[in-house]
Amino acid sequence: MTAAAATPVRSARPAKPRPSLAVPLGVLGFLVLTYWAASEEFGIGFDLPAILGDLTRGAGIIGEILRPDWTFLPATVEPMLETLQMAIIASVIGCATALPVSFIASRVTTPGVAAYFVGRGILNVIRALPDLLYAMIFVAAVSIGPLAGILALVFFNLGVVAKLLSETVDGVDQGPMEAARAAGANRALTIRTGVFPQILPNYVAYSLYVFELNVRASTVIGIVGAGGIGNVLNAQMKFFAYERVGVVIVELFVLVFVIELISIQLRRRLV
Amino acid sequence: MIRFSRASVTYPGGVHALRELDLEIGAGEMVVVVGLSGAGKSTLIRAINGLVPLTEGEVTVEGRSVTRATPRELREIRSRIGMIFQTFNLVKRTTVLNNVLMGRLHATPTWRALLSRYRPEDVEIAMQALERVGIVDKAYVRASNLSGGQQQRVGIARALAQEPRIILADEPVASLDPPTSHVVMRDLQRINRELGITTIVNLHFLDLARVYGERIVGLRGGRLVYDGTGAQADERVFREIYGRSLTADDVLEASPAA
Repeated sequence: MTAAAATPVRSARPAKPRPSLAVPLGVLGFLVLTYWAASEEFGIGFDLPAILGDLTRGAGIIGEILRPDWTFLPATVEPMLETLQMAIIASVIGCATALPVSFIASRVTTPGVAAYFVGRGILNVIRALPDLLYAMIFVAAVSIGPLAGILALVFFNLGVVAKLLSETVDGVDQGPMEAARAAGANRALTIRTGVFPQILPNYVAYSLYVFELNVRASTVIGIVGAGGIGNVLNAQMKFFAYERVGVVIVELFVLVFVIELISIQLRRRLV
Repeated sequence: MIRFSRASVTYPGGVHALRELDLEIGAGEMVVVVGLSGAGKSTLIRAINGLVPLTEGEVTVEGRSVTRATPRELREIRSRIGMIFQTFNLVKRTTVLNNVLMGRLHATPTWRALLSRYRPEDVEIAMQALERVGIVDKAYVRASNLSGGQQQRVGIARALAQEPRIILADEPVASLDPPTSHVVMRDLQRINRELGITTIVNLHFLDLARVYGERIVGLRGGRLVYDGTGAQADERVFREIYGRSLTADDVLEASPAA
């Protein structure tokens, strides 16, 4: 035991800091914002009892959906395959484009500051638009059909994969890059040998993930005329043929579930 | 063969890593650079292959200026200089062979390297390099499955695969245990003697420096403070280089392995 510990000297205690106003102000702001959004005079007039009372109104429709008309099944096979094909093609093109873009948009591998900011900027713009909006734009540009859907999904994939991948590149071990540079490699080969093997498992995982998203998204964008099963879904809803809508919904559920199951298994093995 | 003339490096933060260094290293020499961390050892080594550019003065390698080289010339100069790192700098996810083939990039057309289709003769050079460090049987093993000492030998093989004239080793044994350190240092010594490759090694353990350094260069605060043989470098010299009395942390072990 030291002398200081045996005879403690009482030194000045630090003053307790004043409590911050940020927390109560934040809570107040949050409450005001919620009232503004829900109130009758400023917002959408949110009324919980009314919603609960209206819940039974859809019972008829839901009942029809729950009794699918399975004779409609054969007619959905081809559009369902078209949806899958759109998803596959869009994934391949989108992910292949995303790879070089992600190297430009990472601080670690970018060829220059200007390229980095341009790349990041373009990616931010691409990701700012939702997939449905892309579908509407391309339906207008190349007319109704799967091509519009594929183009929409390509942009959607590019945005997602390039963003995730460039962040993965940001986090790689830079030692191998230094080794490649010291061995006289140019920029392309430094990336190929020093960075690419490190991000490959993530790249495959992200690609499987957007393929999953594509199957789901291609049904939604089909509703605005971009081909596939979404077209069928849209048409049957317009005819109020809910027994047929039910068939499509069950099919989609099974398809997405199976693809997700396989994809999750594969991805778990990768990373 | 390597010549520093009034070479200075000042980092953006204002740190002077090298100050007006004059140094000549002849072909086939084995030079050990010693100094405390922050004395400029890493900077000195990286100035030779241009990984760190000089802010003043000039470095030449085999009569060619590193300081004034175009990017293409610099890659060509680097292709003749192998480098070994403290943390090995291997791609751990890929095979030992793929790591060593990095040393053949300078001789491989870009399209081949992009598709990972190396020529059989380059693969053979890589295999021979692995043979020289005694781990050719690990060629198709993932680098992450090797021990630290083995990983550093992959690093040495990668440098050898370049068929270099010069090898730079930046604290090659700092991440290894004492017995493995001696194995790696002896590998470097053998490469220097048998292949006649000029070898420059950064070390901070004075006992290792004395055993393996035919010539010792001492740095302190970015200045050259000692240049002489390992035999001449006694404790007084090291106290001068370190600017303080020696401690147990300055030696790798109490009694160096025979």
